[in-house]
Amino acid sequence: MDTSIRKDRLLSQKWLRTLINLGGVLLALVIAWELLNLVIGRQCDGKCITDTLSQMLRVATPIAFAAFCGVVCERAGVVDIGIEGKMLTAAMVAYAVNLFSYQWLQSMMEASAAGTLSRWLALLVGILAALLLALLHAVSSIRFKIDQIISGTVINILALGVTGYFYRQFLAENLPAGPGTFPKIVIPFLADIPVLGPILFRQQPLTYIMILLAFLLHYVLFYTPWGLRTRAVGEHPRAADTLGIDVLKMRYTNVLIGGLIAGLGGVWFTLEAVDVFNPMMTNGLGFIGLAAMIFGKWMPFGALIGALIFGLGNSLTTTVSIYRPDLPSQIPQMLPYLLTIAVLTGVVGRAAPPAADGQAYEKQ
Amino acid sequence: MTIALQATGITKRFPGVLANDHVNFTLKQGEIHALLGENGAGKSTLMNILYGLYQPDEGEILLNGQRIQITSPHDAIAQGIGMVHQHFMLVPPLTVTENIMLGQESIQAGSQALGPLALLDRRSVAKRIRELSQRYGLAVDPDATVQDLTVGAQQRVEIVKALYREAQILILDEPTAVLTPQEADDLFVILRNLVAQGKSIIFITHKLREVFAVADQISVMRAGKMAGSVQPAQATRELLAEMMVGRAVILTIDKTDANPANVVLQVENLRVQDDRRHTVVNDISLSVRAGEILGIAGVQGNGQTELTEALTGLRKVVGGQVTILSQDTTHVMPRQISEAGVSHVPEDRHKHGLVLSFSLRDNFVLCTYYQPPFAKGIEIDFPVLEENARKLIKMFDVRTPGASTSAGSLSGGNQQKVIIARELSRPVKLLIASQPTRGLDVGSIEFIHRRIVEARDQGAAVLLISAELDEIMSLSDRIAVMYKGHILSTLDASTATREQLGLLMAGIGGAEPHAPAQRSGNNRRNGPDSPLEAMNV
Amino acid sequence: MSENRKTNPFAPFLSALGRALGMPALALLTAFIIGAIVILLTSGDLLAAPTAYWGLIRGALFKQRGLSESLVASIPYVLLSLGLSVGFKSGLFNIGVEGQFYIGALCAAWAGQITTGLPAIIHLPLALLAGAIGGAIWAGVPGYLKMRTGAHEVISTMMMNYVAFRLTEYVITDKLRDVNSTTIQTPSVSPAAELWTFAAIPQRLQDPLNALGVALVLALLTALVVRALADRPDWKAKLGARRGLAIGGSGLLAGLIAFVALPLLTNAWWPFTDAYDRLHTGLIMAVLAAVGVWWLMEKTTPGFELRTVGANPNAARYAGMNITRNVVLAMAISGGLAGLAGTIEVLGVSICRCLPLFFSSGYGFDSIAISLLARNDPFGILAASFLFGAMRNGADLMELSSGVSKYIISLIQALALLFVAAPAIVRWMYRMKAPAGEEKQAPLTRGWGG
Repeated sequence: MDTSIRKDRLLSQKWLRTLINLGGVLLALVIAWELLNLVIGRQCDGKCITDTLSQMLRVATPIAFAAFCGVVCERAGVVDIGIEGKMLTAAMVAYAVNLFSYQWLQSMMEASAAGTLSRWLALLVGILAALLLALLHAVSSIRFKIDQIISGTVINILALGVTGYFYRQFLAENLPAGPGTFPKIVIPFLADIPVLGPILFRQQPLTYIMILLAFLLHYVLFYTPWGLRTRAVGEHPRAADTLGIDVLKMRYTNVLIGGLIAGLGGVWFTLEAVDVFNPMMTNGLGFIGLAAMIFGKWMPFGALIGALIFGLGNSLTTTVSIYRPDLPSQIPQMLPYLLTIAVLTGVVGRAAPPAADGQAYEKQ
Repeated sequence: MTIALQATGITKRFPGVLANDHVNFTLKQGEIHALLGENGAGKSTLMNILYGLYQPDEGEILLNGQRIQITSPHDAIAQGIGMVHQHFMLVPPLTVTENIMLGQESIQAGSQALGPLALLDRRSVAKRIRELSQRYGLAVDPDATVQDLTVGAQQRVEIVKALYREAQILILDEPTAVLTPQEADDLFVILRNLVAQGKSIIFITHKLREVFAVADQISVMRAGKMAGSVQPAQATRELLAEMMVGRAVILTIDKTDANPANVVLQVENLRVQDDRRHTVVNDISLSVRAGEILGIAGVQGNGQTELTEALTGLRKVVGGQVTILSQDTTHVMPRQISEAGVSHVPEDRHKHGLVLSFSLRDNFVLCTYYQPPFAKGIEIDFPVLEENARKLIKMFDVRTPGASTSAGSLSGGNQQKVIIARELSRPVKLLIASQPTRGLDVGSIEFIHRRIVEARDQGAAVLLISAELDEIMSLSDRIAVMYKGHILSTLDASTATREQLGLLMAGIGGAEPHAPAQRSGNNRRNGPDSPLEAMNV
Repeated sequence: MSENRKTNPFAPFLSALGRALGMPALALLTAFIIGAIVILLTSGDLLAAPTAYWGLIRGALFKQRGLSESLVASIPYVLLSLGLSVGFKSGLFNIGVEGQFYIGALCAAWAGQITTGLPAIIHLPLALLAGAIGGAIWAGVPGYLKMRTGAHEVISTMMMNYVAFRLTEYVITDKLRDVNSTTIQTPSVSPAAELWTFAAIPQRLQDPLNALGVALVLALLTALVVRALADRPDWKAKLGARRGLAIGGSGLLAGLIAFVALPLLTNAWWPFTDAYDRLHTGLIMAVLAAVGVWWLMEKTTPGFELRTVGANPNAARYAGMNITRNVVLAMAISGGLAGLAGTIEVLGVSICRCLPLFFSSGYGFDSIAISLLARNDPFGILAASFLFGAMRNGADLMELSSGVSKYIISLIQALALLFVAAPAIVRWMYRMKAPAGEEKQAPLTRGWGG
């Protein structure tokens, strides 16, 4: 009766919402396409399209990792604006480890094996560095109950200081050649599918990890005790506490896992994007990731879509600069940032954050 | 009858407070044991100790004759103790099933090896919930989302949650605070049903009426001590009241008959929406004259908050008109309304009434800081502020070390006095007082009640909004009952009876035609519906 | 919460020290100690840290123009931190001061070069105003968006930073490029729009119009000081009805004297020699700004409103304050001060008196640390800004003399910020007890939505 009717209506609303969302995405793609043609005058052929979309997925990778970090932390009620700092630190550490372990491993094995090994080693150490900063955020905001925004800012400034110092002290000059970035992994058969193949199945490993992570996070958040407890802790920690759930422990672990994920986003910069480190290289992508998370309504797939939109903005800029080198590059470069503000203002849609987001939990 | 739970010599100290002072408490198997006491008497502390949220400094707890340690809610649950908190411990966006399984999730067979990442088994939990709800007569839909449920239904979910954990002892903390008298009676039926099947229940309340209605045994706490334990048959209201307060209580306030003069507040066909755009004040008309107190009775969440906010300019008016002293204030800013002579004692003193980090001196001029003599041009005259603070602290008997003390460090009663002092210290034409004594001790309540009557006697119009029926009945000259956004009826206070008001508060009767109830999908602040109605599911 | 750990035998002493100097000093000290440990670990040289710190002190204070340069570096810090503190007190975290600084610089660079015909008395205030307004708008927009749509200012102003960087870059390279210069930069501003250096004051005053401007400013300041004094009880009684006359008269008198005497006096004797040819009058503006912010926030009704909005926006609304207006006002003041800082960099610091393409400041993040270190107190900000300015200035000599990268400074500053933000960590490190009734800052995190 009464309740079943309500459920039906909710269900139809859900369908409707999904449809509207899909329609919105399609509309955005069409508008982007028309804008592109307007600027570069219909020079974009098939290869240009697949290149642009493949680039979109590539650039979306670190943004998506940042957004996933945000989802994991904020679902448990901890705001993390220190993602940027974690990514920067992970990027630098991964770069240094990749370089130096390669020199060391080369004496033991052949160059290509040493390269592969050192890259994976760098990935591991890089995300551990981000984990360390996440631990700092967890301790200061959960145990010492510092305002989470302040704590995140401290992380960002600290990361600037640490990376700046080590970069100038050890990495700025006279470096031997490194092993380079991860090569693309071409997935057999799937990579040969027209259009989709080159976009989805000729990517570097972190991009694949990112996509798998979206599925994993969705499963964990909505189908496991862990996810149920995380959401409860983020919405109403006192209620979780009265049921014997250790709120602080849940928050600690989530922030730390978030740190590892942000670390993956960070190592992307020096292990997949380019083979150098520079102290400005994260360029606000951590903050854009937060916007993608907000856009995605704190859902893993939503965050992924948000990241893809930002990625598209970026790859379009690249495409435009290829066909129209005469245009000033700065104006299109502003787009992702303006888009972020637009997301925040709700022009592109916004939902309510977890109810206890940003509030320290005080046990009675 | 065997003894289910016994607590002896429980002592709990907080900084500056002895919350429980060698308290003894015995709960027999299969009884409903009412724990009665004023706000701050130590009832909640004792229950939080039994539920493992606090650790006692001294004393021991025996369960079925065996000494036990309860160091966390987890322990309490494992020992078969369940608690329904006054503020529900439910996660609004989760479903009933999810809320109930939280912390004791059931896992689908074959996925146990994944530990915390195993696959949840919602279906078996939902099945168990249906069983429990049938067995104990608790209508609950396992698939509903908690934020869509009415307050009464949420309370039933809380009870099922405790039963799901196989609680033998159930602690209910002020369970009737959010219910109408009739809904409360329905709850009592459920409780009777539970004890009939062997459960034991501790029922915390400060309402005398309820203990006579439901309790098998009554224990009274006062100022951290157990003041005594009696059976309902041997108790009278006066005896219990005296045990609660420590002296004979004046249950009514001395006041003369009202001399209503000109109309100060005139509200016509007012419509207001809540934050979720649901119409929660629907076509309300009322008027308050100078020199009278109009009380608005009603269970919380029937639109009183939004009504107050609309009258004081804090919320947009969707339709209708508000006139204060023949000035149209329907769509004006809060400041203009306050300058028209409206004083407002807000419902939530921490959220609206005070800036807790500011000194008393600054809080006293929160609404008038820009007017002479407090400001000259854009500069504030601080010596005048100091003088003003000293004067008000004395006049309103605010217990504070000084005017520079921050408002946050005062007790609730003194904080409320600061607000009353501020609002009554300027010329008052209309006083809107919303839940003016919520959570206060008897001394402060009496003081504030006297001040409100005084304001009336000095010619102010008073609109009193309160969920405490006693407060409404003892202060008001006329009483309007609000239900689901409507004023059902306005009665003369001298002839209105508690039963009459109770029925109106439940939406039964009343002069106005019964408009369709506002109950839409995701309205968290819905008025409670009757559990009887929901039990037909 | 009871600490079961053994109490540190030095704890009473450290507590006393902490009380005397305040937690900020202890936080700073701790940061320097950890910085020394990092230097030790990365260099493996026991003497590296002392050498580095000694180099830092020498560079900041004792080397040729050391003090002067430290003061120059502290001026933007003062203005930016004041801006941040106004935001913090109003419950806003204007993390975008860096971008507002850029926009201020850009506007000033534009306003400074539009013409060379104006006298300094008009052109300099105009350029200053342009920079301040630019910064105010750049910050006011996120403030407005926050109130209207709930966009959290931390992310939106951060994004505005990046937009500001790109915009500045675009304008310098494409729209406002100095075609006569080999480097990419805007045209130099008119000499009339330049901020005076201390060394050049006597010469500037020779122009009667300039002297008039200075006289006007001094007259106003004197009148304000007399006005403040006139409110003291003893003066009030004496002056009575002649209060207005006293204020106006003293101002007029001071102005007249300044107009006649200053050009002559400074020509005859002036303490600021060529060693101060980089120290500019922005210093005076920074100090005045600190006094002004203090007066605004603590003594006036708009300040009372801003603080109320910051401490409890719901209560502010209840008290009849317009939250939107106050939030936009707070952001605009904050951004205006930041824009002024950028303006000063262009008009008074940059060698070319212009905006070069590679104009990096990094002042913004440091200023967050400064305002928290000073607990948003304007006079504390003056002191902390000097400290940070001195560190920034001394860092070069430190790097030169010890080989320790000057970026260790940012590491130390970040640590200081951490410890100031979390006094509990410092207390925990030194096993000190928490003081009773610790002050609590209103939370900045109120979710992302409005």
